[in-house]
Amino acid sequence: MKEHLKKFVAYRELLYNLTLKEVKVRYKNSFLGFLWSMVNPLMLLVVYYIAFGVIFRLRAEGMVRYEFYLLAGILPWNFFSLSVVQAVGSVVNNADLVKKVYFPREVLPLSYLCSSGFHFLLQELVLFVFLLIFRVRISPWILAFPLLLFLQACFAAGLSLFLSAINVFFRDVQHFTDIFLLAWFWMTPVVYPVSFIFESLPSWAARIYLLNPMAHIMLLWQRIVYNSPVNGPKAAYFSPTGFTYTVVLSLALLVFGYWAFCRLEGRFAEFI
Amino acid sequence: MSGREIGAGVISAEPALCLEGVGKCFRLYHDVSTSLKERIINWRKRGYELFWALKDIDLTVYKGETLSVIGPNGSGKSTMLRLMTGIMKPNRGKITTYGSIAALLELGAGFHPDLTGRENIYLNASILGLKRKQVDRIIDEIIEFSELGAFIDNQVKNYSSGMYVRLGFSIAINVNPDILLIDEVLAVGDASFQTKCIDKIMRMQREGKTIVLVTHNADIAASISDRILWLERGEVRMLGDPREVSDAYLRAMRTRPEGSEFGTRDIVIEEVEIQDERGDPQIRFSTGDAMVIRLRFRATRRVDDPVFGFGIYDQMGLMVYGTNTRLLKVDIPCVDGEGTVEFHLPRLNLLDGRYYLSVAAHTRDGQVNYHWLDKLYFFDVVSPGKESGYLAMDCRVVIYNRSQTGE
Repeated sequence: MKEHLKKFVAYRELLYNLTLKEVKVRYKNSFLGFLWSMVNPLMLLVVYYIAFGVIFRLRAEGMVRYEFYLLAGILPWNFFSLSVVQAVGSVVNNADLVKKVYFPREVLPLSYLCSSGFHFLLQELVLFVFLLIFRVRISPWILAFPLLLFLQACFAAGLSLFLSAINVFFRDVQHFTDIFLLAWFWMTPVVYPVSFIFESLPSWAARIYLLNPMAHIMLLWQRIVYNSPVNGPKAAYFSPTGFTYTVVLSLALLVFGYWAFCRLEGRFAEFI
Repeated sequence: MSGREIGAGVISAEPALCLEGVGKCFRLYHDVSTSLKERIINWRKRGYELFWALKDIDLTVYKGETLSVIGPNGSGKSTMLRLMTGIMKPNRGKITTYGSIAALLELGAGFHPDLTGRENIYLNASILGLKRKQVDRIIDEIIEFSELGAFIDNQVKNYSSGMYVRLGFSIAINVNPDILLIDEVLAVGDASFQTKCIDKIMRMQREGKTIVLVTHNADIAASISDRILWLERGEVRMLGDPREVSDAYLRAMRTRPEGSEFGTRDIVIEEVEIQDERGDPQIRFSTGDAMVIRLRFRATRRVDDPVFGFGIYDQMGLMVYGTNTRLLKVDIPCVDGEGTVEFHLPRLNLLDGRYYLSVAAHTRDGQVNYHWLDKLYFFDVVSPGKESGYLAMDCRVVIYNRSQTGE
């Protein structure tokens, strides 16, 4: 694994170039270009806002500025799910490369993580402009932004590496991931506040719910951007234990994912 | 063609690539049991056979040496190259490389159609392990070599296949590694581009680069390499002097079938020989030469009304010409025991290229094949002219123009 890591570092420019390619190619030949990075989450915002803000009246539940609450969660969640979905098929979809050229294969899933990350940063930038325009108070938690980004990236990277390697041998993984991510989305406090869970589920079920590391990550995003304690206590929840658990799990998953990837990498070219 | 001049490059006793007892094994799955039920039922049954693509290969390629690897299809040539690059890992033995290594396995693998040629150069070169700064230094050379000119800033999806391949080759060959692995890519591009590639390879030889070349073409192999390795069924059949090995290889290829055959074997085609007008076995012809295709067969029982035929195919597997005894209105009432059939072609109206030959014996209606040898043989045609295509046709030019006719 150490040797793999050394090679990976030597090929870091390839990661940069592949990311650049992804970023350039995604909206090539489209009229709106990079604007799609903004349009996409805005459309989601409208849909969820109407569904949950207007119809289910989450706003009335004391959620001040529900629209910002939504954006605070949807943007990082989209970053996560998009990077995982793309990364899972990354090795298989680049079969000709994998079969014909040697390079550290982990750059394939990671390049998708990076390119999704790039779009995510663009979106967050726009979100902050909105926050300033609408004079939403920004809390000092904002300083944790890079750390949280790093935490989520570790988690997503570990998961992506593991799934993309397994997917070479069992293509079912790819299809399963789509469905699983959808379920996962609803098991994570993105459109509804976490208090809903505490109120409607028995405590043992809520405890299980909090085993989901993405829940903790999302809660932190909301704290940073939406400033949840100020904008209605319903969305605010922070447990140091849960946070520590998430950090440890993310790092462990990263190490495990990379280890598994390295173990399986040697047989990619035969199986693809 | 003769072997490369001794002393043309700098060959040292230092190894560049070492293969020690290398073996590579593939699993050939019989029947992939897809449903869970089948998997449970076949739980303990191994659903695959082991196939050793390479068996116990010991090989040292020295620094500055050019080694060609030849062998029939499925002999393990490409597997060997893939092991050398690290795309695959050997199941047995060890491979050690000294110095940077780059492989030309497939040209333009990893090009993105929506990016321009220039953007693709950076992307492709970094896949081959180059840094941006290094690419900056050689990009002009790459563009010049590719002969793409102003097209370099067009999207690659608008390129012709020739341009695509030229760009791929230019990148790979200008990456300038210590060890260059080349797989069957010399056959790309038009003749002048090919000459340029061979020139470039010779220049790299002079610079003391190590080159491993996989090819079907024993003549190219003999002309540019220091040693030739002849692989067969995953084993080293012969290794050594380029002339000797290529001669032995060509001799073996002429007589021994390679490829697929099928049929009921009521009639067995035991030997196929492609001959020139003097009746000598030959695989190189010029356009317009006479050719004889001679089949020696043996009928294992009395067979009534058989038909013998042959087909000539191009490298893509398309039939260029085919005929048989029925079409030629030769009735064979019955055969029993041994015999021969000869097809005489007084003028071979084919142009440059390699052609494959299939021969067959079947029933009159073609419903039952006694024996079909599919594209097991080949011959090369060289044409003196510069026409293009497959066929040499008589063509006369008449020009009507005021200034020439003087009207």
